[in-house]
Amino acid sequence: MLTKFYLVLSLLIIGGYAFVAFTGKEFGDPERQRVPADVRQSPGGYRSFHFWHSGYRGGK
Amino acid sequence: MSVEVSCPGCGAPIAFKTGSSIVVVCAFCNSVVARGDRKLEDLGKIADLVETGSPLDIGLHGAYQGVPFELTGRAQLGHQAGGVWDEWYAAFQNGAWGWLAEAQGRFYLTFEQSLPEQTLIPPFDALQPGSAVAALPTSVPLTVAETGVATQLGAKGEIPYKLIPGEEYEYADLSGSHGMFATFDYSETPTRVFVGREVSLGDIGLANAMAPEREARRVAGRQLNCTQCGGPLELRAPDQSLRVTCPNCGALLDVSQGRLEFMQALQPPKTPPIIPIGSVGEFEGVKLMVIGFVVRSVEFDGVRYYWEEFLLYNPQVGFRWLVRSDDNWNYVQSVPPGDVFHKSGAFGGKGDTVQFQGESFKIYQDTMARCEYVIGEFYWKVTVGEQVRAIDYVRPPRMLSLEISMVQLGVEQATDSATSKKSKKVRSAPTGEINWSLGTFLKHAEVEKAFGIKGIPRTSKIAPNQLFPHKKIYKIWGLLLLVTFVLGMIFLATGSRTKVFDQTYALQPVANSEGTQVIFSEPFQLKGRQNIRITANSNVDNSWLYIEGDLIEESTGDVQSFSMPVEYYHGVDDGESWSEGSQTPATHISAMPAGQYTLRLEAQWEKWQQPASVSVRIDQGVPRVLHVFLTLLFISIIPFFVMIAHFSFEKRRWSDSDYSPFGS
Repeated sequence: MLTKFYLVLSLLIIGGYAFVAFTGKEFGDPERQRVPADVRQSPGGYRSFHFWHSGYRGGK
Repeated sequence: MSVEVSCPGCGAPIAFKTGSSIVVVCAFCNSVVARGDRKLEDLGKIADLVETGSPLDIGLHGAYQGVPFELTGRAQLGHQAGGVWDEWYAAFQNGAWGWLAEAQGRFYLTFEQSLPEQTLIPPFDALQPGSAVAALPTSVPLTVAETGVATQLGAKGEIPYKLIPGEEYEYADLSGSHGMFATFDYSETPTRVFVGREVSLGDIGLANAMAPEREARRVAGRQLNCTQCGGPLELRAPDQSLRVTCPNCGALLDVSQGRLEFMQALQPPKTPPIIPIGSVGEFEGVKLMVIGFVVRSVEFDGVRYYWEEFLLYNPQVGFRWLVRSDDNWNYVQSVPPGDVFHKSGAFGGKGDTVQFQGESFKIYQDTMARCEYVIGEFYWKVTVGEQVRAIDYVRPPRMLSLEISMVQLGVEQATDSATSKKSKKVRSAPTGEINWSLGTFLKHAEVEKAFGIKGIPRTSKIAPNQLFPHKKIYKIWGLLLLVTFVLGMIFLATGSRTKVFDQTYALQPVANSEGTQVIFSEPFQLKGRQNIRITANSNVDNSWLYIEGDLIEESTGDVQSFSMPVEYYHGVDDGESWSEGSQTPATHISAMPAGQYTLRLEAQWEKWQQPASVSVRIDQGVPRVLHVFLTLLFISIIPFFVMIAHFSFEKRRWSDSDYSPFGS
């Protein structure tokens, strides 16, 4: 029983690896956003948009 | 050519029908008459034959390997342990004599061998049951199966050697694989050597041979009355049984002489057998009836441990055993000694192993086993209290058990030096007979299915030969590791690793420490289905530069953000130099839809009053070794815990053994 379960689970894991490698998927990406259409159509386009960053992260 | 003479004992006519026979037993007075060069010699009177229910008889004709023969004589020999066996003498048409030994329903046909003078047959005292004998030029190595002293007890017909009534002689039986069999007969010098093989009656053209009384016993079973209580009892294997117990009064009765003879009154068992006598179970497609039940025990550190053995019988396949020990079960059948190889024949001791069917079995236990109780009928002369030296060798799910028959020499008082406690100790010595049997571990459900019963007690105790239930996982694990490795190598080898963007930017000082500088790149193309690696480089030194970036798809406005601190610190503390961080960090993000993208960078740096620079490079189709390692790790988690469980299982398996590889 455990052996079958392990076999199925492992094949899923390996299949998952193959899928990730084949599709170029990475883990831990920040959520994908979209610049609103009205901003893109406005003068300056997305260059005038305030993006979703929270600022300073570095330092020691 | 037949020669008729008068018996020197009684004057009755006797005939030497076979030219090469040496003695004839007078049918009238049982005198053993030998013919010499000039005159007849009366070698003395010999006892009547004991009825053993043999299917053979003098005068039967058979053939072996195409050569016809006639059974002309029969001798009955006494075993030192008390039993008898028959030897039949087959006069072949080509002038050869065959010795056909019959014991416990088995037949061994051998022929005397003339060996070269330089052949060194080991002396009787040098033979060790279980040891290999290399002296014989046989196709397979032979192992000593039994050594003993035979006594000429009875005879009938014409016999090809000088049989002296009551004479005792030493002998050794040897066994090899594929039924190979040999006997050393030490009655003469040089030792006579007989070599042949185990045969069935069909092999020698006597498949239909069946002495009338034996056939009647075999087919009908036998209804008898106990000599002690008069109660009825039934023999289920009447042509094989030598002992039977009365189900009414528990008396142990001898049945070897064709009639019942009281031997011993037995105490009833504390608990009746879990599978009653008479039950029928199916193993390996054969229906076997439980005809006997034995309780045996061993003693360790003053504590006696018991187990149960069920004797199973089917006329076609013979005897099998079902052994219940600590509520674990084994299906057991006998193995010819010649099929088991031991390097020296000195059985026992730490690290001892035996070879069987190309596999090595490790010693598990070496004890004196005592018969505590019997019910039913048995093909050997069982007695309560009899002891054998029992050595178990294991290779799960199989177990080879060696039983070395012991003869009791006496009882002596023993005193425990630690506790000063006195106890009786039985002194015993090997009889020279060994028996091997092969047990195969059975699951409880298999036993229940075989007998059509339910609810036999379960146990959490590990049997000596119980197979670890998850062992298969290791093979699967190995295979999956290989698959993952190969897959990883393929992806690593075929990754495109394409550089799609590389730009260096100069950053001007900003107004305050919270100030940032925003840069938009020139548009560039990204391919779909290829991951993205972004590498930044800045010449920071004990300082940091922080980048917040966005990949913006020009037509849809889709944005994938990322952040990347570039920080590098180093120094010397207590005389040791150290460093942390990197001037060239990288981050990976998932593939984006194919299209034209702009990179937005928002930079912030520690030394905001000074200019700075940063390079950004974007690659696509970068193989990820980390993902291969993670996959290998994930598929190894369950096997890792299985290994821990396996280790614990093996420790528990060997916990009752004196030969545990884990120590005591």
